[in-house]
This record gives sequence, structure tokens and C-alpha cells, in this order.
Amino acid sequence: MSQVGKDIPHDSAVGHVNGQSVYIDDMPPIKNELLVDFYYAPVSHAKIRKLDLSDAEKIPGVVGLYTYRDLDGENKFGPILKDEVLLVEEEIEFMGHPIVVIAAENRKAIESAKKAIKIDLEKLEPILTIDQAKERKMFIGPVRRIKKGDAEAALKKAEHVIEGRFCNAGQDHFYLESQAALVYPGEHKQLVIHSSTQNPTEVQEVVAHLLGLSMNQVVCITKRMGGGFGGKECQAGHPAAMAALVALKTGRAARIIFNKDQDMQVTGKRHPFQNDYKVGFDKDGRITALKADLFSDGGAANDLSTAVMARAMTHTDNAYYLENAEITGTICKTHFPPNTAFRGFGGPQGIAIIENIIEEIATYLGKDAIEIRKINLYGINERNVTPYGQRILENSLPEIFEKLEVSSDYKAKRKAVEKFNSQSKTHLKGLACTAVKFGISFNTKFLNQANALVNIYTDGTIQVSTGATEMGQGVNTNIKQLVAGEFDIDVDHVIVMATSTEKNNNTSATAASSATDLNGSAAVNACQKLKARLTDVAARHIETLEKDILASPTNIIFENNFVYDNRRPDTKVAFKTLVKKAYHERVSLGERGFYATQGIDFSWDTGPEGTAAGQPFLYFTTGAAVCEVTIDRFTGELKVDSADILMDVGAPINPGIAKGQITGAFIQGMGWVTTEELRYADDGLLVSHSPTTYKIPNIQDIPKVLNVNWIDKVNPVNVKGSKAVGEPPLVLGLAVWAAVKNALAYVSGGEIAKLHLPASNEEILTRLHQFLTAGSKKELAHKH
Amino acid sequence: MRDYLLFYVNGKEYRVSGQDAFQPLSSFLRYKLDATGTKVVCEEGDCGACTILSGRIKDGELQYKPVNSCIQYLYQLDLAHIVTVEGLTPKGELNPVQQAMVNCHGAQCGYCTPGFIVAMCGLFDKQKKASECQIKDALIGNLCRCTGYDSIIKAGLAVEVDKVLSLKQLYPSQAILSQFAAHKKESVCIKAEGKTVFLPSSIKDAISFKAENKEAVIVSGGTDMCVNMNKRAYDPQTIISFCNIEGLSEIKIEKNILAVGSRITLSELEEFIKDRLPEFHHLLWLFGSPQIRHAGTLAGNIANASPIADTPPFLFVMEAQLELSGSSGTRTVPINQFYLGYKKLDLKADEIITRILIPLPEKQEIIRLYKVSKRKNLDISTNTAAIRATIKNGKTEKIAIAYGGVGPVVFRLPKTEAYLTGKELSLPNLVEAGEIAVSEITPISDVRGSKEFRNLLAKNILLKFFYDTDEAREAACHK
Repeated sequence: MSQVGKDIPHDSAVGHVNGQSVYIDDMPPIKNELLVDFYYAPVSHAKIRKLDLSDAEKIPGVVGLYTYRDLDGENKFGPILKDEVLLVEEEIEFMGHPIVVIAAENRKAIESAKKAIKIDLEKLEPILTIDQAKERKMFIGPVRRIKKGDAEAALKKAEHVIEGRFCNAGQDHFYLESQAALVYPGEHKQLVIHSSTQNPTEVQEVVAHLLGLSMNQVVCITKRMGGGFGGKECQAGHPAAMAALVALKTGRAARIIFNKDQDMQVTGKRHPFQNDYKVGFDKDGRITALKADLFSDGGAANDLSTAVMARAMTHTDNAYYLENAEITGTICKTHFPPNTAFRGFGGPQGIAIIENIIEEIATYLGKDAIEIRKINLYGINERNVTPYGQRILENSLPEIFEKLEVSSDYKAKRKAVEKFNSQSKTHLKGLACTAVKFGISFNTKFLNQANALVNIYTDGTIQVSTGATEMGQGVNTNIKQLVAGEFDIDVDHVIVMATSTEKNNNTSATAASSATDLNGSAAVNACQKLKARLTDVAARHIETLEKDILASPTNIIFENNFVYDNRRPDTKVAFKTLVKKAYHERVSLGERGFYATQGIDFSWDTGPEGTAAGQPFLYFTTGAAVCEVTIDRFTGELKVDSADILMDVGAPINPGIAKGQITGAFIQGMGWVTTEELRYADDGLLVSHSPTTYKIPNIQDIPKVLNVNWIDKVNPVNVKGSKAVGEPPLVLGLAVWAAVKNALAYVSGGEIAKLHLPASNEEILTRLHQFLTAGSKKELAHKH
Repeated sequence: MRDYLLFYVNGKEYRVSGQDAFQPLSSFLRYKLDATGTKVVCEEGDCGACTILSGRIKDGELQYKPVNSCIQYLYQLDLAHIVTVEGLTPKGELNPVQQAMVNCHGAQCGYCTPGFIVAMCGLFDKQKKASECQIKDALIGNLCRCTGYDSIIKAGLAVEVDKVLSLKQLYPSQAILSQFAAHKKESVCIKAEGKTVFLPSSIKDAISFKAENKEAVIVSGGTDMCVNMNKRAYDPQTIISFCNIEGLSEIKIEKNILAVGSRITLSELEEFIKDRLPEFHHLLWLFGSPQIRHAGTLAGNIANASPIADTPPFLFVMEAQLELSGSSGTRTVPINQFYLGYKKLDLKADEIITRILIPLPEKQEIIRLYKVSKRKNLDISTNTAAIRATIKNGKTEKIAIAYGGVGPVVFRLPKTEAYLTGKELSLPNLVEAGEIAVSEITPISDVRGSKEFRNLLAKNILLKFFYDTDEAREAACHK
């Protein structure tokens, strides 16, 4: 019986289906609890001349109105650069920026207070595009560079060169549970915060910092999130801090729950990118040089933008070997809410650049893009070093491509698409196969650590606590299986507890797909220490039960809820009996485990000419997807006919959960590249701020045929041979986009068809129209 | 006159009066009953997390339909039995739908899950077996951000249907029905903090109340008005709720005219016209979600007067008539003359829409309806179009074209129609017609698309019509 590798239900599944799972807004209110909300900046960029709260204060039910002056700590924070203010001081830098925190007895008082706040503004011109920021040289952080070989010289020598600009738009996280926090004040300015956050330690730190408390005065607890996707990595701190401010000032419990519109309008998104590229290649499509200048829209403050840019730059190569490369990354400062982490964390944006380039090379050379991809794939023994100098080990990409091309019936599909397009007057099909090679580990080395607390109780049951937070991805189920697996006991005897900074300190965000890798490894580490002690107890105990053998810990086996000495396999001691025995012998039944990823290092200036270099990643999660799409030539409407996904995800700890991650991420990626369009008014107001206007994929949008598989491969460097799987499959959504681009190539007459991301029906129809106008008129004349 | 609402939640009776009557059901469930399994995400009926089953009397028994509890105010739910996620497992065990969702990893973060469970239980309450297609159709109104839906569909297919207990079995209806019957005859009026809601039991009561309270607004399905109340601080002081009104719930065909009572929901209409008007049936499938269609009415879609409403283009080309009843009697108005301007109607303050009369098309007529939206399902249109044509001897004998989303109201395109009348519906003629159509419309750029996109669509729809009707035109030629 091995618990690891089993397909068992998510540990919260029962509560989810019967409505008993508790989220922040479901926690019963306590006596005197206050509602918290905030008045936010109505414009993108302005100076506050005067703020008048006198009318708002008088509204019955309003208990407190707080501005930056009420923060006892420093109103300046940020996970990397301390460049963000929680509450606006003099200058508004984005629409939605909180100015006044409102505490009230009821919702009506809050709404009235918002209307009664008077503000006098001196409007300033906002920067709302990357071009405007470039023009005004408004940047965040330094320009970063990755350099390998001599791209400039290789471009000069290249047989063919394409250059262009590629833009991708942002994406809203659209977690179903909006940002939320509930704060209970305690003695001596101590606070207990329940937060829907991916990063309880950061909430603890941010709250302490802003409110002038020390970290040990603040406990942050996260039971679960109703989705996170990166949106609650940093930005859960803001609501928590606002509620904490109220709790501290009033001594009353304080709860803040964003509504969906507010959440979408005030929080950051996936970073839009605008990239200029120049690629050199030979007649076969082999890339000889790439120059890519990446510009991201960071929003008004850094948040995680520098780290997101790092991942974008280290993923611009994606699955393809670049002999000569020069990649730069610049973060533009604009007057939007600070853009933040979103599943993939810059990886999808970096990868989109080269997947777009490959489609263009294929059109340019008149070849099938899959051939261009195969010829450029990273090799096994050669052509296997990334632009930042990391050698790729255990490369499964060639195997994946070989198998997927067959299993997806790619060649037959291609023929069918060609035939269809030559015949159909009403629809157009496209086919593409794109890849993903996603580096696993935080680019920032010190974040790659975790601790875990494992407590065994005298009835043989176990509680585990780690820094990992559960947002639906199943990390708790994975950890539960790992822990049960260490002792080989039933998974039902293990509970993974709510994440709390009281039990696990200085934790990293549940991010970078690595929560199971890091926290699971730490939990295993704790279990191994406990198991060593229990093994000793068992050996001694069995010695007393059996004649003729001496205690020998090395012969002790934990199996199927029992323990035995393999020299006397019939004498089995129940795990819970052993635990009781250990307790009576005064052996510690609690343990803290620790894990720090070994062998990784990365810096921004140790490469050639002071560029980036190192081994940022412990390993890579890889995969590829083949997608076929059909476009309505008259409306631009897109249907995804099929998606065949094949990945290397190692040996999953829970195959059902791994599959759910792959499918969910892929569909989320598909949403990013198709229907999820953030529309802004000219003044920077987000007008698509709820599901009525912001369209994430619906159940009817998923591919008619969807095959999700992985190759049989064990990852030698990670816990139980598994691989991180949360983010990488999102990137495969790009196969849908690439298939649209491929479809356009059928009507472009050899011209490279430009296509922005997302390929909404409007974007598709507009592009189609450019090619079809001339053509269709000719065709009509011919026909009649 | 009764001064309280009476309804049941999970088999338990509730009587609500005063200010409490003026709140969405989702708030009542979560904050009054502490039944927090029902989640609220968007407050506009576009995500389905708050889905509950609303049981109402039809044909002498309670029929349960999934609706969005965030846009169902309590005064719309008098004499209804509400079943929430908590009420689907009275014995505390998982039901077969829940068990399948657990086994198939149908839930990840769990926030959308209760809504999915309720919607799926609604499906299996209605029918014993469901195909993949039916499962997907039943879940159009529920958004999930985690799973990519595949595992949810698989769960639907894995439900042990033989073990499903119907809601009738879970909640014996006799006591509820007799309680409802005892309360049904009276109209209800509730006043609180300056607001009034009136629930007439008859058309007569409704009209006389409307005549005395001209500012009163009618809430029937409420799928649009309640969104405005939740989101845009829309706060009507006098409301007439149609939830108990008798005499408006008839749908029938008489002398080749489809007569739709104004309380007929879009889903009832969808069901009724399935074989008779396949094109309109398909359009209704694209209309909102099951939750919306179970609440919303055709009359509401008309009276709401949105230029991007889905049904009016069809009604325009069919030259439907609206039957309006007021204190001075009943009159009919052609829908083509009903809209006087943006959200302005030929409807007197004391009038209500009682029926929609739709002449059915002749067999040889060609009808095509188009809805273009960013997302195929559960989206509001960017452009809508309806085209109705009669072809004789290869020429267009009659043609009617109505567009929505390209002006302040839905309207016909008289110049385009005139151009095409008497001509062959050939590609060059339709290309030319497209140019004329563009001259007749005044689209704007907004969140759903740019002006340019809409102009392009206005032309392209005619070309799409050409190819869509290839066979139909061919058939017409040979007759």
C-alpha cells in the first residue's frame, strides 16, 4: 500500500460539495464586528489638494475613517522594492488606489460615507501605455540583460531575418472568492488575521510594517482560498492591512470582503508585455540568433514586476536552443494598479514571444511550424544550454514531441485542415503544436526554503502544518499523501491543518508551482526524523515480544498501518500501539522539518558583459500541446476543436490532482489568449470589471476533444520523483493562439499575419478582414 | 391583503415582512439563516455560484428550477420552496451527484462548487439520464476558474443515477402545497422605510395598483432589474412583483399565432417552440444561462428595451404584436412601433404587457437569427440580427432584416430590405446590401466591441446568411 501516487479525492472535496467548506465571508460574525471598506482614487493620476471627511464622519453607523496619517508604521512597502503606499498621501498613482479606510456598523453607512467624502484633485496626465512610459522614461528597477554568444554578429550573418513587435494583454485572475480578510484584535496590540492569501508570512510582515507592530504580534491564518492564481500572493496584504488598522484602532473585530467589481478594478493583473524582436534563421528554420527587448507594464509600483520580468526573460528561449541570444527586460511604470503574479509569472509572456516567432518563421519559409519547432528543440547531449548558462538535464522534450505528433494524429490533422481550408467558404481552420519548458524554483534563491510541523497524537493520528496554502490546487492532499506514505498509514489518519504563521514561520508564498516540492519535502524531512525515533522504539519493543532476536532498527518496516521486524514478519505491531509505546517511553512525537533546495544559484551580473547567469532552476517541467481551431470567417468566432496535451510531470503524487492542474491551467491559458479581454476607457478606467463583460472560458468553450496525458518518467531530483505542475500547462494555452495565427496564414498569401494576444473574435475578424477584402472581391467577381 | 411573504427553505417555513422582504435571497440565506454554502461572487447572475433550486407550483406540483439567488429578491419568491446546497443532503450523507464530484475531482478551490452541485442536482431531478451535451447545457450558467470543467463533466457522466432521490422524495410536498394554496388567493402588500412592494394575485389587481401608483416598476423575472439594484444603486420605491399573478402564464398556438403570456419564462418558451421554431429555439439556447432563462421572461426582454436584447430582432422580423392591458382596456401594438427611443416605450403608466403574439412563419420562409458575442454562451451580444425571406422564382419576394447592437434600439433596415426585394439573393447583391446596411446603422464603440467591428459584422452577417441559406434557397427555387 503506497499512499504516494494514488488517486484520492481532494482533502476538502466533501466540504466543497455539501457547502460546509468555510471561507472568510462564511465565518460567523462575532459581537461588535465591523465592516471595512475603502474610498479609492477616482482618477488615474492626480494630486490631492484637499480631502474633507467631515460629512462622512457624521453618518450614523460610521465608526471610523482612516487615512495614511493613521498608520503608525511606515506607509511604504513592497515585496521586492519598498515603493508602494497602502493609502494615498499626496499623489494618486492609479485609479482604485485606496485613500480612506472606512469602518462601519453596516453596508449602508459605508455606501453613504463613500458618497459624503469630498476630494479636491489636481488632475495630472496619466501614463497608460508602454509607449507613453518609454517616451517619458518612466521605468521601475534596472534594465536587465541575458546574453549568450553574439546575437548582433549572428544576425548580420543570418540567411533570413524577421523582425517585429509582439504584444500580449493582461489577464484578470478571476478567482471566484474575491480578496478577503477578517481580523481579531487581542491583548497588547496582538492581532489574529484570517486572510485569503497565498502568503501568510507576507501578510504578517506587511501588517506589522504598516501598523508599527513587530512581526511576533501578528498571526496570520489561511484555511483556504477560493482560488488564488497569483492574485493573492502580494495583493491580499492590502485588504488585510486595512482590516487590521480598523481592528487595532477600534479594538473590534473587522472584516473586509471585496466585491467582484471592486476587486477587478483595484487589483493588479497579469503583466501586459510589448516586445521587439529580431530573429535570424537558416533555410531550414534553425534559429541562429535572437534579439528580444521585453517591456512590461508594471503598473504604478513594482509589486513583483522585477521577478516577473526575470521569469519572462529566462523563458524567452522556451523549449528552443538559442546559440546566440540577447534578451533585455525593462519594466514600464504606468498609472494602473501594480501588476502582479499570475500563474506562470511572466513565463507565458516570455514564451509567447518565441512561439509567435516560430509561427512567423514557418509562414516565411512556407513550412509546417512543427518542423521549425522540432529542429530548434533543446537537445539531449548537445544544444542543451540555456541563454543564461543552465544545462538542461533529463530533457524529455524530444520524446514528448515524437509521441505527441503520433498520438494527436498531427499529420492527418494537417492534411484535413489544408483540405478544409481549400474548400470552405465560411470557415477557416488552423493547427498548431506549441511547447513548454518551465523552470521550477523561485528565481530568487532564498525563497526556496520551507518548514513543516508534524505532530503525532497518542491514537496514532497525525496533524501536519506547513507554509503551503490551499487554493484548490491540492497541495494539502499531496502533503497528506506524502506524510501518510512515510509511515505507510491510511491517509485518513493524517490531517493537513490551516496554514498559520504561528506554526510555520518565515514561509515563502505558495507560488512558482513549488508548494508541494518545498513544503512536501519539509514535511517528509520531519517525518523521517520521527520515523527514526519510532523505529528505535519499535525495534526495542519487538525485541521484548520475540525470542532470539536483538533490537535492530535497520530491520524495522512500516507497512500498511503496522510495524514489524523483517526477520519476524508475522509479529506486527499496530502503528498506533507503537505511538502509544513511544509516548510512554517519553519519546518526542512532534517534529519540525526543513528543506532548502540545493544546487541552485542565479545572479544578474556574473554572465558575459555583466549579464545574467546561473542555475536558477532545480529542474524543468516540460510538455507540448496540439490544438486545432475553427474560425467563422464572417464573425471571427473561434471554436477549439481539439487539444492534445502531453507532458512530463514526473511521477505525480496524486494523478487526479495533477490532471486537474493540467486541464485547469490549460483552459485558463486558453482564456488568456482568446476571450479574456481587459477593456479600458481612455482615462484608465477598467470597463470590463465583472463576468458580464470579462469573459473567462465557459463550459461550452472547452475543446470538443481534450486529451491530457503525461509520459512515464521519474524526476530524480524532487520529492518522490514528482514534478511541479501548477503553472507550466497554462503556457500550453498558447497552442490555441498559435492555431489561430496558423489559420490566418492560410489566407495571408504568404504574408506574415500579425495577431495580438488575446485573439478575441474582434481581433481575429479584423485581421481576417485585412486579408480577405481584396481576395474576396476577386473571388466574387470570379464566381458571378 | 397579506402583509408578509411566505416561502420555504429546505423544507422549513419562513414568513418575512418589513424591510427584510427587500433583499436578495442570497443575502437572506447567508446572513439571516447562516446557510453559507450558497456563495456570492458577481451579484449579477453571471457566474452561478449562488445557484439554488426554486420550486414553484406548476400543474399541481412543485417544479424545481435552478436560478441565481443573487438576483432573486425575496418578494419574487413568495410561495416558493427554495432548496439550497445544504438542503440536498438532509441525512448528512453525500448524494450521488456530490459523490461523483468528489470522486472525479470536480472541485478544486470549492467556491463555485455548491452552484455546480445545485445546477447538476436540478438536471438529475428533471431527468434520470443525461448525455454529455445535456450536462454541459445544464451548466452553462456556472463558471469555474480552476478545473477547466472537464472533471465536472466527467462527474456528471459518473453520477449513479439509480440512486438519485428526487426532490419530491426528499421533500414531500403535500403540506407545502396546501399551505401555498391557502395563501395564494390574496394579494400581498409590504411596506417598509418608504418602500412598497405589491404582489397582485390577478391582472385586475395589478392594473389598478399600477393606475394608482404610476411610478411603480414591475419586477417579473428580475434578471436585469435586480442587477441594477445590486450594482447601480437602482432603488425603486414602489415595486409590483408578478410572482403570484394568475392569468399570464399561458402559452399556445391559435390560428397560426404563437401567443406567449407575459409570465412565460424564456425556458418555458424554449421548451414549447423546440420543434416549431428551431432557429428561435437555438437563439434561446444562447440566451444567458439556464438560471437566467428559468427566471427571465420574453415580456421582460421586450420591456427592458435594451438595444442588445436577444429576442427583439426575431420579433421584429416576425412582426409580432404586443397585447397591452390597462385601466382603459386592452390594445395591441406592433413591436416595430413599440420602441420610441433609447429605453422609451409606447406603454402607458397604467399598462402592462399581457401577451406577445407572434405570427408563425410559412414553411417555405427562410429565417436566420444571429448573435455575435465575445463568448459564445452566457454573454451579452455585440451584434444581433434576424433575417426573414421569401424566395420565389429565384428572386426575393419579401425580406425583413432587423439588427440589434448597432443603434439606440433594435430596428429594421428598410433601405436594405427595399434594395434586396425583387432581387436574387446573390453574393454581389448581399455585398451591396451590406454597404446599404452600414448606412442605416449608428453603432458605437463600447466594452463589447468597436464601432468598426460592428460595422464589419453588419456587412458580414448578410454574407453569412448567403452561405447559411444555400440549401434553403436552392430548395425554394425548385418549388
